[in-house]
Amino acid sequence: MKRLVSMLMVVALLMCVFPVLGEPTNSNQLSDPRVRKALTYAIDMQAIIDGLMQGKATEAITMAPPGDWRADDLTAYEYDPDKAIALLQEANWDSNRVLDVVYYYGDQMTVDLLTAIQAYWEMVGVKMEMRKLEGDLASQLWVPPSDPLNGPSAVDWDLAYAAVAALSMGDYYDRYQGGYSSNSYNPQDDKLDALIAATNATADVDEQIKAYHDLERYENEIQVNIPLYHQPVFIVQSNRLDRGDAPYGNEQYIYNWDIVNWDIEPDANGKKVLLTNGGPMEFFETPFFNPGFLMSQKVLFDRLIIADENLTPKYPGLASEFSLSEDGLTFEFTLRDGIKWHDGDDITTDDVIGSIELATKAVTNPVLLTTFKAIEGYEDYASGAAESMSGITVDGNKVTIKFANINPNVLLTFTQFAPLPMKYFKDVDPLLLQQADYWQSPVGSGPFKVKEVKMGEYATFERFEDYYGGQAKIEEIRMYPSGESDANLAKNAAAGQVDYAYTKSVEDVIALEQMDHLKVTTVDVRYTRLFYVNKFPQK
Amino acid sequence: MLSYIIRRLLTMIPMLLVICFLIFVGMELMPTDPISYMVGPEQIANMTPEKLEEMREALGLNRPFIVRFFEWLGGIARGDFGYSLTNGQPIKDIIAAKLPATIELSLYALLISTVFGVFLGILSAVKRGSTTDSALTVLGMVGISIPEFFFGLVMILVFAINLKWLPIGGRTLPEYTSYWQQFRHVIMPATILGISMTAGVMRYSRSSMLDALNRDFLKTARAKGLPKWRIYILHGFRVALTPVVVLIGFRLPTLVGGSVVVEQIFQWPGIGDAFVTAVRGNNYPLVMMIALLTVTMMLAASLIVDVLTALIDPRVRLE
Amino acid sequence: MTQEYIPKGRAKQIARKMDKIDAASKLPPKKQLIKSRSLRKLISNKLSVIGIVIFTVIVLSSIFASVISPYPPGEVNLRESLRAPSWEHPFGTDKLGRDVFSRVLHGGRISILVGLGSALGAAFVGVLFGSYCGYKGGLLDKTVMRISEVFMSFPQMILVLLLVSMVGQSLANLLIIFILTGWGSVYRMTRSQMLSIREEEYVQALRAFGLNDFIICFKHMLPNAIGPIAVNITLSTAMFILQETSLSFLGLGVPVQIATWGNIINAANNMSILQNNWWIWLPVGAVISLFVLSINFIGDGLRDSTDPTQMG
Repeated sequence: MKRLVSMLMVVALLMCVFPVLGEPTNSNQLSDPRVRKALTYAIDMQAIIDGLMQGKATEAITMAPPGDWRADDLTAYEYDPDKAIALLQEANWDSNRVLDVVYYYGDQMTVDLLTAIQAYWEMVGVKMEMRKLEGDLASQLWVPPSDPLNGPSAVDWDLAYAAVAALSMGDYYDRYQGGYSSNSYNPQDDKLDALIAATNATADVDEQIKAYHDLERYENEIQVNIPLYHQPVFIVQSNRLDRGDAPYGNEQYIYNWDIVNWDIEPDANGKKVLLTNGGPMEFFETPFFNPGFLMSQKVLFDRLIIADENLTPKYPGLASEFSLSEDGLTFEFTLRDGIKWHDGDDITTDDVIGSIELATKAVTNPVLLTTFKAIEGYEDYASGAAESMSGITVDGNKVTIKFANINPNVLLTFTQFAPLPMKYFKDVDPLLLQQADYWQSPVGSGPFKVKEVKMGEYATFERFEDYYGGQAKIEEIRMYPSGESDANLAKNAAAGQVDYAYTKSVEDVIALEQMDHLKVTTVDVRYTRLFYVNKFPQK
Repeated sequence: MLSYIIRRLLTMIPMLLVICFLIFVGMELMPTDPISYMVGPEQIANMTPEKLEEMREALGLNRPFIVRFFEWLGGIARGDFGYSLTNGQPIKDIIAAKLPATIELSLYALLISTVFGVFLGILSAVKRGSTTDSALTVLGMVGISIPEFFFGLVMILVFAINLKWLPIGGRTLPEYTSYWQQFRHVIMPATILGISMTAGVMRYSRSSMLDALNRDFLKTARAKGLPKWRIYILHGFRVALTPVVVLIGFRLPTLVGGSVVVEQIFQWPGIGDAFVTAVRGNNYPLVMMIALLTVTMMLAASLIVDVLTALIDPRVRLE
Repeated sequence: MTQEYIPKGRAKQIARKMDKIDAASKLPPKKQLIKSRSLRKLISNKLSVIGIVIFTVIVLSSIFASVISPYPPGEVNLRESLRAPSWEHPFGTDKLGRDVFSRVLHGGRISILVGLGSALGAAFVGVLFGSYCGYKGGLLDKTVMRISEVFMSFPQMILVLLLVSMVGQSLANLLIIFILTGWGSVYRMTRSQMLSIREEEYVQALRAFGLNDFIICFKHMLPNAIGPIAVNITLSTAMFILQETSLSFLGLGVPVQIATWGNIINAANNMSILQNNWWIWLPVGAVISLFVLSINFIGDGLRDSTDPTQMG
């Protein structure tokens, strides 16, 4: 028996060591972990962060940013050109090969970063060309090969510079699974798949953390992709604004930021007006896909549960009570009494359930969608065999949702998911949800309601007098139009047109920090920029 | 005259049809994709290919292009300008909302360039050969030699950020009660657009004024001993104005297209801005309509200019 | 930019004579007048001389960029980023520590290539069709005229934007697009010149001799129309260079990794650079403006010397 155990241990050890020694798994040299490590060793990421980004980012050694969820015994592959050269030699790197690096961001920072990396790789004898992708990105970036193990690759690029803005940890890693719908780069790896499956097999947070640590160790060991840096979110506010005791969290999502109690100095007319960005350019964006990227999504809609600044579900929202069973398979909530939509109608359980059903058919955030798809009776509903999902039952104001399988993010989902007034969506094709008239001037449930919209010019919002959380102190919010990345932020802030905003642009922050009337708060979030490495044999 | 106008209008129709077809073919070749634009590049990795396909189907992007072209054309014939792909709104509403902004900007730019151009042009014609004349010529050329966006950024830096005299961009704000408040927004963009055209108007009015000064009746007037300023203003100006009017007629539709960059810098919610957004998102129904609109304006302007010239100058005959 | 010209031909000589008579008829301030006219000539020449000097200096320094520039334009040195101008770096360094002076020199190559190349290309196409069609007339003339009308019925920038988004961003594509959008005006101008020259007696004589159409057209007629064409080339060079910077600003120009004047100055589209690092945008902005200005001076001089109706 002992012998068996020790033999098993040797096998296990070998299995661990084998990939560390490294060897290409197919004809593509990038499938060799040594090459990927060499490419990482060759980049002086710290110098890039200090020089180019003025220290406003953190070096990434794995997808997960520093914190509880990241194992602390990972190898950093710090800048070491000699080691890079040695590894490349060992791997017989073909110095004539020119790496095809693609990107899709239009900003100057991306080009500067890639130019710097190009220079670093040049020094260790690796050539690269960069090219910006235009058009149908999904078909150029994320088409998985028909054979998820042996390829050949269904995409053209060698490395893709991209980012993951993760709501949950699973957002980072689920996509690595062999055969995943957007996995165009990782050949199926049974060990990796097993480790990923383990992270999704439990609803217990401690066990999840442990599973992620194991996953990260393996990820780090074979350097699946090349993580570059973690980008914090920068929250900008003017001297006029007082956020009270409200915490600062991940502004890209919904948390307990307590805007009802924010206060602002009255303007020249004696009115308390908050100026910000994120107003509609062509339409108000639905909160189903990006729950809270834009200010309008945050103030117009409320959620069933409210998360704290770390996105841990904690407080009641539209639901006055909620609970998740021990096994994680039953979620119950009671809808608050007497809550109303901005048009004065009652918010009903039918609205909530209808919204869930609508979301399963619309373009919905994957974390939310995975949760909803786990509800009992989803298949029958999706195929049209059933009118509704059998797992959802209503008793007065109390709704019970039964899940068919374990989903680690049930509560998180309901902190981000915004129910909509269903009466406006009777004849709307769920796939064309965004094209519905409703989004020209939405009727929501949040602390502020739409007052006036001049599409592409400005939008104003006034306090919703029937808001269950009390009337906001701020009388009016005014937004100028911008998408998720706002090219005019620094300009408008300099001109005093911004009391609150958040940004991920380092260039903007450098300018914003120099403005005396502004305060910038940095918040670490799950946002990682990386090179996806295409390890499949080329076409 | 009337039959000429009708003939011209009739020849415009096949021309417009050809142009429509060409743009439509071009849009087909465009690599940009409405779905990537709507969903966003980072999020698109989270969508299954089936979902993307369903969306394409729902937006009607999968139908053969010739079918879409004739559908679109049929819509135009019925007065239905179609719907924007991105927000599902009627295009005529979008254009109705954006066009006034561009026209406002263009009119001010036109006003600035006409007033300055004509005045300075006449001044340098009257003072022909003097230092003023050559200084004005140089100044005019400096005006057209600075890249618009560079000029715009520097103006923003100086007048909006450092001096805080003018708003940084946009067109209006909800609390405005009078047009005067809104007017402050148009100053910078209109100035930049106007300056880039002043040189042309100046050159034109200068040479036609010179021309006028040499005409017999002005010489007679001078010989009769009329005061110089009266000659210049009453007679010279009138003669010089004719070709300038023609020039301006041509400028207006060009301005609608030429304001693209300025609208971007100053967050001006006009047609140029909408066009760039639509092109980036391959929002083909909107791109088509805006292109068609500007082309129609150009053609109409050239017709009007031809007719005007014929009315003003009897020697010109319309063929 | 519009091309303003008045159809000439014999009118030229008459106008010249008229000028003389005219000058003589303005009697009392005769001396002053001559003085001012010569002064005017001097100045107008002076401007084009200045233009030619600036133009030559900038073109030559771009051609010899690799000899003049102190650093390779792409040399990255993160430890030297955003340094103010000094003896080592006359225009300072950018965010990646690249020498801005070297980049402006090398960027000039591509920007001038785009500007001058497209103007020459457009002129080539325009003159080729314009002179032949203008001379021959007929179906070919009608067809090309219609095609040029299609191109010219768009506002320039709208058409350029449409085409860029259709064919994608690259240096070659940009050249082609500029040529496509620019040939129409040269074509129409050449054509109308040819139409008036066609009626001249010497052309009739050449025809009577039975000379080949091509020879009559390109060897004997075209040289008489060359003045306005040259003016057109200079003015469109200026226009294309400005358009290249505008396109870069909209993110639709030459791919960003290629250093062009437009791409270099576009880095200043950022508040912190704009406010703190003037050396990144001011010199290159000044070089672009100076270059375009010099071309405009030259064009103006050319116009004055070829167009006698333009009294100025």
